[in-house]
Amino acid sequence: MNLRTWQVWLATAALLALSILFAIPFMWMLGTSLKVPDKIQTASLDLIPRASFIQRDGQWLRVRPLGAKAGKIEAQLYRDGQAAETIRVDPAELKDRFHLYGANYTDALSPHRFPFPTYLLNTLAICLISVTGTILSCSLVAYGLSCVEWRGRDVLFWVMLSTMMLPGQVTMIPLFMTFRKIGWTNSILPLVVPTFLGNAFFVFLLRQFYRSIPKDLIEAARIDGCSELGIWARIMLPLSRPALAVVALFTFIGAWNDFLGPLIYLMDEKKYTLSIGLAMFQGQYGGEWGQLMAMSLLMTVPIILLFFFTQKTFIQGVKLSGIKG
Amino acid sequence: MRQDNRWPIGIAFCLPLIVGLASLTIYPIIASLYYSLTDYPIFGRPVWLGLANYRELVTDPRVWLSLWNTAYFAIFAVPLGMFCGLMLALLLNLKVKGLAFYRTMFFLPSIVPLIAACALWGQILSPQRGLLNEFLRFMGLPEAWVPGWLAHELWAKPALVVMSLWGCGGGMVLYLAALQDVPQELYESASLDGATAWHRLWHITLPMISPVLLFTLVMGLIGTMQYFAQAYVLTSGTGDPNDATLFYALNLFNTAFAEYRLGYASAMAWLMFVVIFVATLGVMKLSNRYVYYHS
Repeated sequence: MNLRTWQVWLATAALLALSILFAIPFMWMLGTSLKVPDKIQTASLDLIPRASFIQRDGQWLRVRPLGAKAGKIEAQLYRDGQAAETIRVDPAELKDRFHLYGANYTDALSPHRFPFPTYLLNTLAICLISVTGTILSCSLVAYGLSCVEWRGRDVLFWVMLSTMMLPGQVTMIPLFMTFRKIGWTNSILPLVVPTFLGNAFFVFLLRQFYRSIPKDLIEAARIDGCSELGIWARIMLPLSRPALAVVALFTFIGAWNDFLGPLIYLMDEKKYTLSIGLAMFQGQYGGEWGQLMAMSLLMTVPIILLFFFTQKTFIQGVKLSGIKG
Repeated sequence: MRQDNRWPIGIAFCLPLIVGLASLTIYPIIASLYYSLTDYPIFGRPVWLGLANYRELVTDPRVWLSLWNTAYFAIFAVPLGMFCGLMLALLLNLKVKGLAFYRTMFFLPSIVPLIAACALWGQILSPQRGLLNEFLRFMGLPEAWVPGWLAHELWAKPALVVMSLWGCGGGMVLYLAALQDVPQELYESASLDGATAWHRLWHITLPMISPVLLFTLVMGLIGTMQYFAQAYVLTSGTGDPNDATLFYALNLFNTAFAEYRLGYASAMAWLMFVVIFVATLGVMKLSNRYVYYHS
């Protein structure tokens, strides 16, 4: 398929235009998070953060318009970031100038509004324990389902596969009641302990990978007297690093984004994850657009960084699983 | 093989899965079936009802409404998302320069954490000062025609569809991978036979990638049936305005954890399972005629 020159130009133009279209929400998120509050809703179309300024003694000073009176504008003047006197100025004197307003971040991050460090640590704890549990349990089970020959293995495999069709909503209620009975609600235990008990999809993925590793390698190790656990640890784990990376990455992202689990099980605000914290923040301070965008950005950036650092594994994982992050 | 004396080792390795299946899947399935036949307030004991919950399901207008809302969303969001993803993949497959850059630009939105995306789109779609409506006004759309999006009964679901389309890059990655696997000889010989670009798309490209299209269709339908977090966050769990965003999974969650009717909610969960099962089976059956497996 050789394209003519004009076709290449057309395709490039379309791709560029679409790239901008897809990027606008990101730019808006960033822009809004850095806008002064009085510009957020009045200059929604402006993707670049700007504030009103007036010139005084050769210096540009930021002002916050308060209201209009008899053709003049009453405005709050700021000197060195501090609110100073209120002044009355001619509308023509006001100029919109580029201004980054960091207070959206510092205001939102006050401990009673959005204790970001606490939520971040809670989320990271769940993510890291889940990754450990999933990697450990799924690779052990995948080994048992592919490298050890035993009667009943295929039955177990098919039982496992058939449970993948079941929507989580069916097991959600009995599991909640069970965890409540044993006193695990309002803790991260219901979110992380199950990860140590295998995950059908990841077991399936790893089993496929293990089956592609030559049987001779395992047989040779057995003849040399290596234990099964030794073969798993010293041969299979190192050889399956690419597949384990996919499992680890998607478990991490899944736990980072999980909303329903923390929503059901975590009641105490101190135990909230970023997802739940952000949703609650939106419920309480939904009108504070700048702060809300600042928090959304802080939650998004780590995932985007993760994508850039693990691009190959990431795309491989999407292709293998159809999971969209 | 020494198959018979090795089962203790096999069982030992699979122990996590066996315990997990028993405690996290099989027991809950049985318990859920039992709950669905009872009246089970969260702070009480289950009281046997027989099939009464299921009888109530059939006549419950809110169940039907939430099923309709979910079907509406599925009918628009899933095919439109697939279409947009496929268009992007086809454009990228033209192999113009900078493929990696464009692919990243289209893919990034699909990995934005769901709740952050909800916060963002809640503002973009805000009727008064949101980016989208301000843009429409800027373009000269009369105020009466500017949609109310999430605040308006008619526009709430289209608003969620628009938001979901931003994430169509996830499907695009799958389609692009499939497109790159189509053998070039097919296109070359078709061109020699005088096939137009349209013919090549319709008779080579689409059949060759049809298994991936089917996969994303099925996953999309299952995902829509469980569509929850977006509706919950953007409406504070209410399904507002006027129940326009009361999707099935949201209705189920509220029945269980706001109304504390665990028995009835369990019956709803089983209806969800049946709907997913029948829809998947139906799509698979239909697809037999259209999907081409080359192996």
